[in-house]
Formats: sequence, C-alpha cells, structure tokens
Amino acid sequence: MMNKSFGKAVIFAVLTLGLVLPVRAQLERRMVVQDRPVELTFMAPRSINLLTTEMLSRGEMHYAIMHSFGELENGWRNFYGIDNGAVIRFSLEYGIADDFSVFVGRSGLDKVFDTGVRYRFLRQMEDGSMPVSVALTASTGLNSSEYNFLGSTEFSLYDRTSYYAGLPVSRKFSDSVSLQLTPMMARFNRTGFEISIPSDARWYYGIGLSGRYRITGRLALTGQFIWSENDLGDAVRNNVALGLDIETGGHVFQLFFTTTQSLNDAYALAGRNGNPMDGGFRFGFNVNRLFMLHR
Amino acid sequence: MRRIAPLILLLLSSAYAPLQAQKYFGETGFAEFESRAPALTFTGVSNNLAGLIDLQTGMVDFYLDLTTLDTGIALRNRHMRDSYLNTRNFPFAEFTGTFQFNEPAVDTLLQPRPVTATGVFTIHGISRDRQVEGTVQFTGDGTGLVLEASFEVALEDHNIDRPRVVFYELSDIQRVRIRIEMEQYDE
Repeated sequence: MMNKSFGKAVIFAVLTLGLVLPVRAQLERRMVVQDRPVELTFMAPRSINLLTTEMLSRGEMHYAIMHSFGELENGWRNFYGIDNGAVIRFSLEYGIADDFSVFVGRSGLDKVFDTGVRYRFLRQMEDGSMPVSVALTASTGLNSSEYNFLGSTEFSLYDRTSYYAGLPVSRKFSDSVSLQLTPMMARFNRTGFEISIPSDARWYYGIGLSGRYRITGRLALTGQFIWSENDLGDAVRNNVALGLDIETGGHVFQLFFTTTQSLNDAYALAGRNGNPMDGGFRFGFNVNRLFMLHR
Repeated sequence: MRRIAPLILLLLSSAYAPLQAQKYFGETGFAEFESRAPALTFTGVSNNLAGLIDLQTGMVDFYLDLTTLDTGIALRNRHMRDSYLNTRNFPFAEFTGTFQFNEPAVDTLLQPRPVTATGVFTIHGISRDRQVEGTVQFTGDGTGLVLEASFEVALEDHNIDRPRVVFYELSDIQRVRIRIEMEQYDE
C-alpha cells in the first residue's frame, strides 16, 4: 500500500508540473473571438446589378460607379456598344451601424435619383449556428427627366416616384461558391412609353439569383439571373448577366456582360432586357471603393 | 517513503522557482504592419499580440490572432482575412525561438537593451527562419518587461499571393512593428 504522504507529494508534483510545463513551452494558441461570422460571401455590397448581404461597418462610406454600354450586336464599328455611350450610376452608401446603412444614387437612365436603406438582420456563422445571411433593402426613386414634350399632360411628383424592396438571402457554401436569392418587388406610380420600362404594369415581382465562383483569392466569376413574375411576353424578359470580380487591395472592380442597361434595383427588375440568345448582351463595369469616415 | 516525499517537493520547488521568476507574459501587445505601395499606403493594427519571454533560458514565443488586425476599413479587413491571409486555415502569425543580448554583461534592464531573437516566423502556414532585432527593458515600476521590435515580411516568402494586377495598391514588403508589455509570470 502506497504511503499517503508519498501519494500526496506525487499528486502535488504532477499538479505543479502541469501548471508550469505548458508555460515553459509554447503558449497555447487561442483565438480572441471564437464564434466568427462568415465573411465575403460576395466581394462587394453589390454584385453586378443586385445588392448583396455584404454590409458596411459603422462609419464606412461606399462609393460605387456603375456603367452599362450599348448592346454587343452594334458590332465592331461601334466597338460592340462602347461607342453608344454608357448609362452611369453613382452611389454613396454610409454605414450608420454595422448592419444598417443608408444610400443615395443617381442613374442616367430616366435621370433617376434613388435613396434607400439596407439592414442585415441575420448573419451566417462559421460554426453553422446560422446557415444564411438575410438583409432587407428598401428604396425609393425619383424620375427627374424633362417631360415638356408631353405638352399639357401633367407629370407630377407622384408620377415620378417608384419604390423597391428586396430580401437578399445568401449562403457561402465554401471558400469558392456563394449563392444568393433575392425576392424582389417594385412599384412604378406611372408607366408608359415615356419612361424606360417596357410594360404598363405598375407592380413588378421577381426573384434574383446571384452566384459567385472564386477562381483565386482576388478573382471570382459572377452570375446573375432575375426571373420576372410578370407574364408580359417579350416585353419583360428575364435578366441574365455574367461577370468577373477583381479585388485589388483597395478597390473591387466588377466587369460583366448583362442584358439590361438598368443599374438600380427597381429598373433591373422592371426594365427592358435584350434577348440573351440573340446578342442582347451589353458590356458594363462597376468600380467599388470604401472609405472610413470615422471610427 | 515518508522521508522522500518532502524531498521531492523541495526538489521540484527549487528546480522551477528561479525559472518562473524570470518569465514574463503578456497578451495585449500592439502589432502593426504597414504596406507602402505606389498608389496606396495603409496600416493594420492589433492590440492582441500575446507573448512569453524567459530571461533565464532565452526562450521567446509570440503569436498574433490575425483576425484581430484592423486596417480601418471593414471590407478591406475581410478581404485581408479571406483573400490574402486565409485566416480560416491559418489564424495565427507566430514567432518562436531564442534571444540574446547584443551586449555582454547584462546587469540591468532599466534602459532599453538591444537584443537579437533567432527563430522561426510562421504566417499563412509557411515558416521561415528569421533573425529579429529589438529592445527589452523593465517597466517603470520594475515589475514588468517591455519588448519592442520591428522587421519586414515579404508576402512572397510566405506564399501570400499578390497578383501583378494589385501591385500598385499592395506592397510585397510589409513593415511590421510590435510593442508588448509583459508581467512577471507567477503561478
């Protein structure tokens, strides 16, 4: 039978060694934050035409300039649509909180000013406790075009107003593959030949599908498909786009071919689309830049 | 056996007590990297540098949780973690090795004393033998130790890919500066 004092001594020695030896060797590596959210489901707050669940942090400003040129079918004499000029949209978005931001934008198509908010209320976690990120986007647009050519027909402030709401739901399936579904709806108070949407419907419903396949750390193939619920024959075709994202350390450049010249969300849903089977694509690109206004 | 037990205790205590008295540990150290590229200079900072230094054995061990680095722009942080450092797979930057004072006859650390640490620096899963110059000194009240060091890290040395298209916004050479106050480790 082992002597009790000896047993206690051995226990004490083991405990002492247990406390001392790990410190004498390497420090135990510990993460400061254990449960981390999934990051960079997409490379920027917008992927091609559609807003994503990528949010700004509090105090950040996101500046984006978007372009959409003429259709490729304009041929080489018009440098495949480049000579037709571009629809351009400038936008500024500011992060009021880490998951809440406001934005303003101005698009050349119908000279629309738009303003809106984004709020991400669910965020995908690396440990799987939350499988998706979900955000809400709501915006309103104001058509500022000159309509004197309509003669005596009044084109009121109400007529000029449109609304949009979207609910992007995204999931990063792996380091390479991300997908997003965006149920979306838009309302135009007035439609007709004088504005750049092809149908007379006031309400538009659809689902956007955005995808990303990362080729390298800084290059990703992107895709977009916007299915329109409005059954209007060829008047409202579904939107199709394919692109390439390039992250450069300070900017995110997005080059793409898309069937729409629209650049804001409401017009991307309701606007005219070229026939993807008949050369209806056009070249476009976005430049994204973020600044920190204050911490 | 009854007589042996106190002896074991005494041996253990005498063997470790002097070493423990020479150990210093901290986990809120400052680490900063600076990237100077033609079109963009930016820094990333963290206050979560952890380190252990043993004055008696000359052992040093430091690590930084790379997810705590902040460049001031959240999206850039995310790109840094995701696209460059791959922190999901390689969350830490680490340095483990030994150090020695550059000057002999060490009798006080009231003033900064230059030291050279030799060891292995690991980031992005790639380890490289490194020699790092720095200084150590006691804190004002003499109960702690302050270590400062600076060195350069070439992204290429650690397989951190930097395509030519981004050369103007991200330098291949990152200038790293650390400063950590460590308290005497006392079990």
